[in-house]
Amino acid sequence: MTVRLSDYARIVGPGVIEEIELLARKVRGRRMKMVNSTAVGGGVAEMLAKTVPIFNELGIETKWDVIKGADSFFSVTKSFHNALHGMKVDIKNEMFDIFREFNEMNAREMTFDEDLIVIHDPQPAGLIEKKAEGKGKWVWRCHIDVSHPDMRVWDFLKQYIEKYDGSIFSSPSFAKTLPIPQFLIYPAIDPLSDKNRELPSYTVDRVLKKYNIPGNKPIITQISRFDRLKDPTGVIEAYKIAKRHVDCRLILAGGGATDDPEAGDVLARVKERAGDDPDVHILTLPPFSDLEINALQRASDVIIQKSIREGFGLTVSEGLWKGKPVIGSAVGGIPLQIKHNLTGALVYSIEGCAYQIRYLLSNPDFATKLGTWGKELIREKFLITRIVRNYILMLIALDKPGESIIEI
Amino acid sequence: MPDVASSSFTFYTSSNLMELTGQKARHLKEFVEILKIIDGASIFCHTHQAFREFHFAKGIFTNDFAYWAAEAIQEEDLAERLASVDIRDFVDIRSLRERLIEIIEDYLGEKNEIRIAPRGKEFHFCKSISIASRTSHEVWTLSEFRDALKKVGDRSLFYHFFDARLRLERSTNDFSNWIESSLGKPDLAGKIEKLDPYLFTLDGIRERMMELIDEELRSESIDEMLKDRTLGVISKMKAARDILSKIFRKKKEDK
Repeated sequence: MTVRLSDYARIVGPGVIEEIELLARKVRGRRMKMVNSTAVGGGVAEMLAKTVPIFNELGIETKWDVIKGADSFFSVTKSFHNALHGMKVDIKNEMFDIFREFNEMNAREMTFDEDLIVIHDPQPAGLIEKKAEGKGKWVWRCHIDVSHPDMRVWDFLKQYIEKYDGSIFSSPSFAKTLPIPQFLIYPAIDPLSDKNRELPSYTVDRVLKKYNIPGNKPIITQISRFDRLKDPTGVIEAYKIAKRHVDCRLILAGGGATDDPEAGDVLARVKERAGDDPDVHILTLPPFSDLEINALQRASDVIIQKSIREGFGLTVSEGLWKGKPVIGSAVGGIPLQIKHNLTGALVYSIEGCAYQIRYLLSNPDFATKLGTWGKELIREKFLITRIVRNYILMLIALDKPGESIIEI
Repeated sequence: MPDVASSSFTFYTSSNLMELTGQKARHLKEFVEILKIIDGASIFCHTHQAFREFHFAKGIFTNDFAYWAAEAIQEEDLAERLASVDIRDFVDIRSLRERLIEIIEDYLGEKNEIRIAPRGKEFHFCKSISIASRTSHEVWTLSEFRDALKKVGDRSLFYHFFDARLRLERSTNDFSNWIESSLGKPDLAGKIEKLDPYLFTLDGIRERMMELIDEELRSESIDEMLKDRTLGVISKMKAARDILSKIFRKKKEDK
């Protein structure tokens, strides 16, 4: 079913939709191209799949191209990705050659005669060499945390980035020293997707039944893949401490088999730590379990995201959107979403997490208030309509570089 | 007949795009040095974005500087001083900047040591680009103004209340300015200017403004009615006077 912009009006209010339409009228007829490295899978492809049809609906003719690559290229870009995230990676000179070679090959096969070309992430960043052939503006959209990168990879990438007319980052802390404008566009969730849309209570009950989860105790839940950095064992420890004071049930639900070699070990350790506690439910969900995730979050009394490291943390946005009190670690993009005691609870330790579980389960009125305000913050800042608005504003702002008040 | 303004009022709406400056401060000394040179659009952004984003939680968040001082470097005392800056006291960014610098430098003068923000909690200076566009609402009377006020979005209120004062350096908000100068109603203009936009939600400001305008419109209609009645009495008296003079004239002639 095709989603139209007007479908979001009942969620964000007609004023927001009118504003987007008003702004879009100023750039109607412009042409835009999005380029990334994968058509399916991953947050970037998901976001493009949702927003490109909306841009077209608004009269901004938008195309989405995917670059071609081979295993050798994607292996290099995976290493670059990890290195930009600050991980220790062995970078060899030939990796830069492979990167250049595939970017040049793609550049030869592609045309860029649009008014705005948005290149997503490092993989296609080298396409900028085609800029001189057209009149359009070029923007590099960085979806990853490059705040503490491997400098060799960053310096290599930077020689391309500096040739763009602008860049987009997902968090203020990802900003770099660059000679081009750096726009801030937060990631966002789609409130109409299976993962986030309203669900009838019988669907929630059906999912609980499917996983044999009785509804007789308050439920605390962490939805995350079984990854050491998501600290699932820490969540079990926090649950055990809290359970000495308040009776509750814990759900740890995450993706099953992945290409992460550590996943099996982590899951085994989680099961060992949980022991034979019948109130701990460890669920390995198959792919495409969005509706189940939605139902589990809606069935919860408290949602946890006790990550040790995190990118933006869209699982927090998803939890807050369900109007639930969310306890999150103060890492990555989580503090942008959780303001302590206002839109959720920020914690720094297992003990802190345990205390918040106790407190929120014992003070349901306060928990409801956090959930209500958390949802309002997501409505204001982290829904997909805001991404659409930001892109249109960027189209306008790129026409008047350096101006801070633009009248249109 | 309602009073028609000498010039119309057009509602604008503003949308903001955030831009990162790449400047970050780890402690107060770095912070104040950046504050001295940073683009005015950055100061506007950090003193107003919390208000805009947390408009559902009125009065709890004041500005990003105060929040950082409290949360990242635990300087609660400074945070309170920064939070208490009443932005309505300033008519331009320059004077607001000077006041913020003065507060921080005074505070630094009282301290022997400064705290360093933990990694990841540095203050990142952003700035906002405001893109203002005309809406279809152009009004000439107070009653039309009221109807339009009911319909326009929160961002329009934000623009006319906040952008207008500090960024466009007008001495009052746009609404009061028009109501006083074009409609000739200084009392109502003054009451609207007195509303504290930092303690109300945007919807709260809208409701309060509507109440004030409704009061004004009611008193206008009472005045109108009294005027009508007075005019009615006067014309009846005039008619009576004419009849009486005719009678007197006739009697005189008869004599």
